[in-house]
Amino acid sequence: MGKAMFKLVIGLVVGGGLWFTAKAMGFPPVFQWAFFSYAAVGTVVFLLLDLPSMKPQSGWGAALSVLLFFGLLCVGYGAGASLLPQFDPEDEKGKTAKVLGSAKSGNPLDPWKADEVIQRAKELDQKVKELEARIKALGSGLATVPQPGGAAPVTASVPAPGGASGGDILKVGEEQWQLQECYNCHKLRGDGGKKRGPELDNIGTHLTVDQIKQKIMDPKSYMATGFEKEWEKGRMPDKFKDVMSDGEITALATWLNTFKNTAVDTPIPIKKK
Amino acid sequence: MQQGVGTIERALRAVGGHGGWLAGLLLIAGWLALPSIGLAAEGATTGPTEYRDIPYIGSRNLIWIVAQLHLLLAGFVLGVPIFAWLCEVVAWRGGEKRYDKLAKEFTKLLTSAYSTTALFGGILLFLLVAFYPKLMNYLTDIFFPSFLLYCLLFLLETATLYLYWYGWDAMQEGNKKTLHIFLGFLLNFFALFIMIVPNAWATFQSSPVVISDGTAIERAWAATWNPTWWPINIHRLIANVVLGGYICGAYAGIRYLSSRNTEEREHYDWMGYVGNFIGVFGLLALPFAGYWLMREIYQYNQQMGITLMGGFLSWLFIIQAMLIGVLFLGSNYYFWLGITYRIPGSESKYRKPMLWMLVSLLLCLAVWMTPHSLVASIEEAQKMGGAHHPLLGVLGVMSAKMTVSNLMILITFMSFVMYWRAGKQDTAGWATFGKAVMGSVLVLASIAVIVLGVWGYFVPAIVRINYFSTSQVLIVIFVILTITPLTALLLKSAKTTTEMVWGSMPPRAGYALVLNAVMVILLMTLMGYARSSSRVHWHVYGVMRDSSPYAYSPALGSASLIMAFCTFSFCMIVAFIFWVATMGDKAKAGHGAAKGELPHGIPAMAGGSPDERR
Repeated sequence: MGKAMFKLVIGLVVGGGLWFTAKAMGFPPVFQWAFFSYAAVGTVVFLLLDLPSMKPQSGWGAALSVLLFFGLLCVGYGAGASLLPQFDPEDEKGKTAKVLGSAKSGNPLDPWKADEVIQRAKELDQKVKELEARIKALGSGLATVPQPGGAAPVTASVPAPGGASGGDILKVGEEQWQLQECYNCHKLRGDGGKKRGPELDNIGTHLTVDQIKQKIMDPKSYMATGFEKEWEKGRMPDKFKDVMSDGEITALATWLNTFKNTAVDTPIPIKKK
Repeated sequence: MQQGVGTIERALRAVGGHGGWLAGLLLIAGWLALPSIGLAAEGATTGPTEYRDIPYIGSRNLIWIVAQLHLLLAGFVLGVPIFAWLCEVVAWRGGEKRYDKLAKEFTKLLTSAYSTTALFGGILLFLLVAFYPKLMNYLTDIFFPSFLLYCLLFLLETATLYLYWYGWDAMQEGNKKTLHIFLGFLLNFFALFIMIVPNAWATFQSSPVVISDGTAIERAWAATWNPTWWPINIHRLIANVVLGGYICGAYAGIRYLSSRNTEEREHYDWMGYVGNFIGVFGLLALPFAGYWLMREIYQYNQQMGITLMGGFLSWLFIIQAMLIGVLFLGSNYYFWLGITYRIPGSESKYRKPMLWMLVSLLLCLAVWMTPHSLVASIEEAQKMGGAHHPLLGVLGVMSAKMTVSNLMILITFMSFVMYWRAGKQDTAGWATFGKAVMGSVLVLASIAVIVLGVWGYFVPAIVRINYFSTSQVLIVIFVILTITPLTALLLKSAKTTTEMVWGSMPPRAGYALVLNAVMVILLMTLMGYARSSSRVHWHVYGVMRDSSPYAYSPALGSASLIMAFCTFSFCMIVAFIFWVATMGDKAKAGHGAAKGELPHGIPAMAGGSPDERR
């Protein structure tokens, strides 16, 4: 008994020491208690090694004890997990509802005036080209407008036509990039994967809005050089025309078309269809 | 409702016999699915029904519970034959008959466990077809050829299982025994394929490979050979061995607690040791397989990896660390109890190493359980200077976690070696040199693992993942492969100073075995939730969106309650299977069966044991 008490005291001292050290170092309370609990668990394990043997049980008494022990473990597990910080499923629900809501809306309820938007995008594209030509003529030797951070698009934020109903097409395009999780396969602005799809920071130099749109709707229509295997295997999902409205595809294509960072080696797409 | 229950009762009475409860469960599943037909009416007006629901419990929860139970039972049914076959081979080659009896005792469970697993598989299929017709249509379209293969495998597995079990007594001598061993191998061979075929369906949902062209077989093959298929296959294969081992341990623990005489205590103490041993050795390899799986997930889809490890599910891995930590503690504790109680006199010799091992395990666990970023209040975040604590953030990354998991494996391995050596005195001339080599290997390996872990902070992630982490794993494997044969050689000529005393373990040893089994089962349910949640709002990631009302992941707290429920239900089912399977033994004992004979006999569901049939 004295030995057990000694262990208990040592365990408490170690646990208390850890708790105060963690507090002094500015650890959040959850860690102060976590460290204390590690010392407590260690003490319990070591105490259990030396405890005098329990009274042997048998029959239904033993079965009931095991059942209680088992129930205690399950309840402890549920309680422990419930005490940890929880994420809010509503966030995920909101995101899904947004994606599904816009996909279901389809063309008849398209919030964007697609023709007008495309026309506007083309005008902007033309302006960018004119600006590039003027910079070249000035002899700066730069192919594109210098971009902050080296990766931001030339036309960073262009208000979409159509007033309140039109919204910001580039913002919608960027939102679609996130919602459709294009970053899983394409790298852009330094983020995302690039193993299964090309890096897209200079896609605007190679393809027009219509061409990007065609590629999204029909992934087999263009093949990026160096990605022949992926193209043959049909790695890019052939689903976007079904899950996105025409307006969303246009917005995404328009937004992607603004990426003209020639410093990035975006592979040249080859027309296949 | 009353009418439905009455119908079930009438049907149950009509079926009767041993298969009654099976048929009843099937009927209950069908009955539970009935309201979904009514609820589907809304969808039917606009096109094909995509989803059906069930009141109160919800279709997702019901599928979750049934799928989890099916998976756990499947793990049990696939793990036990591996366990039993290994025991049979040990008995065959080593001549220790008690291993053969242990193998038989567990094989006896297989027929009832197998039919129960198939039953839950059937219920799951019915419910999936009823609640998720759109998804099932799609999966059927992709995997149709492998469905047929699966049916064929089932037939082969069933036939082999019957031959293996019913032929046990008839095939004990000479070449017949060799044939029986071969049947056991075949049983495991088919079981492996029974596992990997549906693994393809499940992993396809997480990492789909869809080709639009080609024949049905080509499309199914491409979808089957998806990036996470083999990592899951290997991970589940090892996990099944671990589950089989720990369930055996828990069974032995419960029987040990309730045993009424010395003979029983000795037998179930020994059985608990064997179960724990097999569980621990599988457990040592499991983190490596888990690491490979996570690596493949990151390579396939960085976003999915981030969602799991650094996103909203990151706290899940803290729970995982806690469960694995308790499992390591429980397994080591059982070894230490063994040294203390089974080998009298050894406890004083090993008391200090035990204390240091315990402290090291707890330190490792503390690092493993440290999250990278915290859900902190604004005040806390301001105090820390961000969501990452300057010190704790360092411990929360993979480099630290890989290092401590490798160290925990090394510590557990050393616990086993310590147990193995206890009560023996080396007599070999090279013993001192041998022990020095083993000690050096262990110390150098531990240092190397730590150095690589620290170095990992200063190299690009790709170098750490591809070279450093892999090297850590190889170092640990090297230690195990070096020290095991050296210890075996040393002990071959060693003198036994204290005989192992079976049956002298305190009752808490039985509880430790139950604890280990519960931790493994909880871990499996937790990982099921993790894998499913990582797909977020997709049925098939990036291909088929989940547009049902359940297209979200439940919070950890509520999810943990379902996990606990699944764990509880699974254990009750397994307890029932054990109870049914040992009913015959009790009857036999009551009729004056030879004392000391280990329990073996009646298979639960198939009527009559090989002994009785003779």
